[in-house]
Amino acid sequence: MSKSDEDMLDDLFSLGKAQSPVPSEALLARIQNDARTARIKPATPRGSVWTGFFDMIGGWTAVGGLAMAGVTGVWFGIAPPASVTTLAADLIGTTVTVDLLDDSSTYFSEVSIDG
Amino acid sequence: MNAPLGSLHEAPDDAVLVAYAQGDDDAARLLAQRLVPRVLAQATRLLADQAEAEDVAQEAMMRLWKIAPDWRQGEAQVSTWLYRVVANLCTDRLRKRRGVSLDQIAEPADTQMSAAARLQETARLSALANALAQLPDRQAQAVSLRHLEGLSNPQIAEIMDISLRSVESLTARGKKALTELLAGRRAELGYEDE
Repeated sequence: MSKSDEDMLDDLFSLGKAQSPVPSEALLARIQNDARTARIKPATPRGSVWTGFFDMIGGWTAVGGLAMAGVTGVWFGIAPPASVTTLAADLIGTTVTVDLLDDSSTYFSEVSIDG
Repeated sequence: MNAPLGSLHEAPDDAVLVAYAQGDDDAARLLAQRLVPRVLAQATRLLADQAEAEDVAQEAMMRLWKIAPDWRQGEAQVSTWLYRVVANLCTDRLRKRRGVSLDQIAEPADTQMSAAARLQETARLSALANALAQLPDRQAQAVSLRHLEGLSNPQIAEIMDISLRSVESLTARGKKALTELLAGRRAELGYEDE
């Protein structure tokens, strides 16, 4: 490491130190816009425990999906499609049929409980 | 409630920042006028790239806007905080540059110089920025704050939250490493004839 190498570095530092760019109007405008936006949106979102819980599991979309899955499960319990009944019988073997509604019902036929 | 701009002009940075957090648009404008030139200069000196320096300046100011509601007036200096944020943002970018060739670094815009002089200055500034990129982050930060920003060792110690002795050690080792990194490039950077 020679003296001239050190002099070169000092010259490079001087060159770098002399760089003092003037911020463009466009940059200042973007920064001003950021200042307004940052104040509108608080840095730490405030909400109830339920809001935090819903956010944690994926928001209202996920809650809607869970609700739909629940309703579908109840519906299959009351009136399972034939394919479900057949599959259960094939897998477990014995099928016991319990009528929950009288025969006059036009919407619900029967519920199969496998055992 | 917005304070009169005249009285804000007399106020220190942290008081203006608190005024901004309380909804004063003039305070935001005043802070930008005061702080952006220095923030942009620091980023430009470290990165030698105008576009990247502007990105860093915008990001640093965005962090300032976000922290404003929690700023404790009188506890820290806004300028010290910004030096630290800009140094960290720049060393993040320098780290990503390691292995990037000199040709890939953008040229700084300057229309006042001759083409040859501009090319040489660009090459020199890029060489310095690329050499800084090869240093460990803390060394690059300490060297740039000392030799590019011209800050005193106690100021650097406060900004980097380290002892004076550590500052001295980091700047000395950083400068030595930079000298070695650039030693073979005297002719290429036009220093042989000077």
